[in-house]
Amino acid sequence: MAEFHKLLARLKGALERPQAAPPHENHTAPAQVPVATVAHRAELASAFASELVDVSGHFLGNLTASEAAARVASLARESAAKNVMIGEGVVTRMSLFSAALEGVGCTLTKPRGLDKGQEKIRAAMIDNFANCDIGIAEAHYAIASTGTFAVMSAEARPGSLTLLPPVSVIIVNIDRVVANLAAALAAFGADTIATNRVSFITGPSRTADIEKRIVMGVHGPKKLYGAIIWPEHE
Amino acid sequence: MAEVSHKADFFEASRVSVADLELRRKLENASGRHLEHVAAVRAAFPPFEAERDEARRIKQDAIEHLDEYLIALKERLEANGCVVFFAADAAQAREYILEVAKKNQVKRVVKGKSMTTEEIGLNNALMRTGIEVTETDLGEYIVQLRHEPPSHIITPAIHLSKEDIGQLFADKLHTPYTAEPEELTAQARTKLRSIFLGAEMGITGVNFAIAETGTLVVIENEGNGRLSSTLPEIFVGVMGIEKVIPRLEQVSHFLEILARTATGQKLTTYTNFINGPRRKAEIDGPREVHVVILDNGRSAMLADPVMREALYCIRCGACLNVCPIYRRVGGHAYNSTYPGPIGSIVSPNLFGSAAGHLPFASTLCGACRDICPVRIDIPRILLHLRWKATEGQNQLPWPAAARRARKGARRFASMARHPRMIRALAKIGSWMLRPLARDGWIRWMPPPFNAWTKIRDFPRPRPHSKRASSDTSA
Repeated sequence: MAEFHKLLARLKGALERPQAAPPHENHTAPAQVPVATVAHRAELASAFASELVDVSGHFLGNLTASEAAARVASLARESAAKNVMIGEGVVTRMSLFSAALEGVGCTLTKPRGLDKGQEKIRAAMIDNFANCDIGIAEAHYAIASTGTFAVMSAEARPGSLTLLPPVSVIIVNIDRVVANLAAALAAFGADTIATNRVSFITGPSRTADIEKRIVMGVHGPKKLYGAIIWPEHE
Repeated sequence: MAEVSHKADFFEASRVSVADLELRRKLENASGRHLEHVAAVRAAFPPFEAERDEARRIKQDAIEHLDEYLIALKERLEANGCVVFFAADAAQAREYILEVAKKNQVKRVVKGKSMTTEEIGLNNALMRTGIEVTETDLGEYIVQLRHEPPSHIITPAIHLSKEDIGQLFADKLHTPYTAEPEELTAQARTKLRSIFLGAEMGITGVNFAIAETGTLVVIENEGNGRLSSTLPEIFVGVMGIEKVIPRLEQVSHFLEILARTATGQKLTTYTNFINGPRRKAEIDGPREVHVVILDNGRSAMLADPVMREALYCIRCGACLNVCPIYRRVGGHAYNSTYPGPIGSIVSPNLFGSAAGHLPFASTLCGACRDICPVRIDIPRILLHLRWKATEGQNQLPWPAAARRARKGARRFASMARHPRMIRALAKIGSWMLRPLARDGWIRWMPPPFNAWTKIRDFPRPRPHSKRASSDTSA
């Protein structure tokens, strides 16, 4: 690529270093998900909840998976939601949510990835996602200091889940609530680039472009509900 | 649309906008409350100062070794399946993107907010070939409907009231008139969502490009950047060469300070890490990802050791909000993609002599330096550019007013060697000027002294100057 080499020559000339001293450091090793004590986890969960509310999200609570499924089903019933899109879980059994939602009469869309030769129906699939009233996803991590969900896309967990439906529900396992952004990046480590997208989501879609007044739902979800999933026995 | 033309002189344009009381009310209304909020959010985050230092240190390293990090970035992006194009100037970048659009029979393009695409005049180039281009950031969409360029890096429609926007939507979108921001936003959502679902190409800027992982970080609040990079089959990220960050972990230092300074948020709503095209079996995400890495004058900035610091800029817009000049004249008076203090230092380098007068559009008060999250010494660079324009390599033409002021100062310096003559002239001058004063200020003087009064008022001379009398007695 001639242009690239010309550019490099320009940069080298511009920098005029006597000799290159490459400061590259070793790549960071992916850190283990830290398993915190119950007290510490409760503290992180409470900080996360208050930050989520601060960015106009709704906190459904510290719940077990079956409690969360019941809450989401009643949410769907109250808002008269018909079509619900539900993604594959990270560690939580999403079948609990499917059962509860079907129990209140919702039609479910479960993205399962594209098989060979299905490229042509991709647009139709996305249109279908866009027609869903609620999207339910599980986040890889949640960040306590900012009220952020870190959502990694995958074939059965497309980014559209948390983007196209006007109501977004995101759950996260309590073991995956980390203190801050740096901890979340360390937890992802090399996996950050395992799929095409990691989205850090902090509240519902918002704009302040008209007289700096904050309005929700300009392009993405108007409402964001979050829940932290605890094990049944704690 | 912003073309890269700078015909109007800042001093002429600012004379018009400074007298626009409605514009000033809007600017003050928006930036006053905003500044208080930003200050409170920064104060509530104790590590802020340490994060600033760390971010600056990382930028310094990234810029000092830009060539090496760009090689690493290119390799990683390609390994992730992206197509990388290096553009020496705006024309090359435009041509490349047009070529990609043509190859893929693109008819509709959706754009996320991007200063860099404004800088290269991309929209007009695309539209000239018959492609429909829609700006999807709400503020950008509004100014696009008005056929205007944005007036602020972060809040493009800062110069418009909600009534202005209500009327605009009623006229252009044929929606019922309302001045309620909620309803206006809902109208725009419906209109833009259908455009998103039909677009073949999405284009956004890039906030950070991580060399270690080949990740493009795009931050935004509305979700339009996410939609632009998720739904269309082709995605193009346009970035300046200075956006490289060496390692993944380092990006957190920037994200912790950027939103706090730009909008007073802890983190923007959407912080998107884009790792190339969709992988096998993934449903959403683009089929092709093109990354256009733009020089367009930046390597010349790198070559100037004083200017180099300007490449640390992370485009937060804070220096605009604090600048006493920007707050009074607004963005359009600068007539550059990059207005305000940072615009005054980068524009002459990106757009050449047409923006050469912008370094003079400052009082050097230093508020921009104090608020800058990466501590860019903007006043020092402004002075450096003024020096270059007057004493230096004469690369930049400098405005006539500044030239006259300098001539005047030279004459004064030569007269000052003769104290008697100075005293006599001061007496005559003060006697002649006093009748021109109104309320203690002189707003007009005859030529050649009008070079001063065109830009600023002159104080009314006191009847018996104390200095003159004490000098005489000494």
